[in-house]
Amino acid sequence: MLADADARFGSEDVQIRCLTDSAGILRRGDRPRVEAAMEKIARRFPQVFVAIYTGSLGEVANIRQFGFWLLNRSAFEDVPLQKPNEAGILLTIDPESKAAGMVFGYLLDPFLEEADTFECLSRAHAYWLEGRYADGILRVLAHLDGILCKRSRQARKDPEYFERKVLPPAQVGDLLRRIREGHRASPQDETTGVAP
Amino acid sequence: MPSLGFAAALEEPAFPAWKAGELSELESTGWVAGSVLLTNEPIPDEFGRPKTETFQIEQPKPEEVAQDLAVSPEIAEEFLPAYFAERPKSFLIDPQGLLSSSDYRDRLSFLNYHASDSSIDLFVYVIGGDQEIPSAVREEETIERFFSEGRPAAIVFYYLGAPQRSAVYLSPSITDAVSAAEQRRALESSVMQAFEKTRAPEQIEKFLVQMSIRIYWMERMLAGDSTAKNTLPTVAPRVATNRRPSVDPVKVQRLLELARELAIPAGVLFASVTIALAFSAWLRSRTRYFFPEFEVEARLGGAYAAGVGAVISFASAAVPPASQRDQVPDYLRRA
Repeated sequence: MLADADARFGSEDVQIRCLTDSAGILRRGDRPRVEAAMEKIARRFPQVFVAIYTGSLGEVANIRQFGFWLLNRSAFEDVPLQKPNEAGILLTIDPESKAAGMVFGYLLDPFLEEADTFECLSRAHAYWLEGRYADGILRVLAHLDGILCKRSRQARKDPEYFERKVLPPAQVGDLLRRIREGHRASPQDETTGVAP
Repeated sequence: MPSLGFAAALEEPAFPAWKAGELSELESTGWVAGSVLLTNEPIPDEFGRPKTETFQIEQPKPEEVAQDLAVSPEIAEEFLPAYFAERPKSFLIDPQGLLSSSDYRDRLSFLNYHASDSSIDLFVYVIGGDQEIPSAVREEETIERFFSEGRPAAIVFYYLGAPQRSAVYLSPSITDAVSAAEQRRALESSVMQAFEKTRAPEQIEKFLVQMSIRIYWMERMLAGDSTAKNTLPTVAPRVATNRRPSVDPVKVQRLLELARELAIPAGVLFASVTIALAFSAWLRSRTRYFFPEFEVEARLGGAYAAGVGAVISFASAAVPPASQRDQVPDYLRRA
């Protein structure tokens, strides 16, 4: 619950930049590379933006809760207003507890799975083990780019598949009924004389 | 005191002397080491030798001096018919018997082999290294007379023991096809090969092997293979008798024409594919991807996001990502 997270991290909104390296893990020269990769995703997916936060959070278990809280409570000062936080993808790295998490807003809820974000993080595992945080982040973003491309193409072909994933159970029945009615009313069925 | 020391330094030590009976004891063994030096007697043969010796050298006779003046004797008249009277019946012409019978047999055998393998015969006139062809014999005219008909031939006047004096002529039918420069190069490389040996029989063997190889290249020129002129080796391969397989010039020409015909279409195709790939990559980089926006019910009190995501630990290499799957608590999963 956000209320629980508020109790732990605060209920006030926080103003941060998309790339906030509080832990200071990015070396000189790393920052432009990471920013370029973030901008590339923002350019290719005009509805979406990526934010990265590094900092010490304590326990590993808190990192998921922290990501959830930060994406709901933060105001990203360098993100255009037409991109709300529900279009954000937040990568959180805690170099102290050596854990990283990835959360995303409601816009991508139908299109991304937990397995997808886990695959992205897995790509960086070897780099982060060696302390090469920037290289790991670049790998995460590259894999994320590929997944988003694929999902975008799939959504264009079959948007209803993704819509069904986020509809409440009651509305799922309505959708199915609408689809069946649509089939029944199609002129092709009438001409061929196929029984409903 | 210093003067006494100086005098002592100037005094030379006495020579060693035989003790009583020591010399006679050693002499009884037959030989006394250093007996020549350790004696007061004069060194044998040192004295009594005449001061100067006059060597008695026989002076050359007048007829010998006259013979030396004729440095380059002409081929004896008796051999001239055998050399120049008619077109030779054999590839090796040695009426003077300058080559031993075995060498003659071997060289003739090689020339016969060459003739069986080549369209240009090789005739060799063996002449003594210090001999001259009589001025009455004109080589060019002789060759034109004897070799105008029949198979093309290369004629070599080989001076045994002096390969650098050798000369090569081609029969009139191929003189125009093989340039004088190429003829000169063939001769030079053959002479070079001959000089690798010191014995005259071995020199002529090397010479002929190399000349045979050069004739092979002349054959290629006659066949119209223009590449032969450019790839002509200046020195023979080490295994001189190893003949190279002949290449059909017609096939080579056909392949070259085919390559010329296909060069432009292949270039155009390659350029088209490259441009298409580059254009495709450029298009992909410019493509924008959109997602349909659906109404998503808010969960867990989050206005913008619910906690559906993944976490990974990179604390230890012993805990790979594969072992960290499925670790999302149920309460964070979508209802």
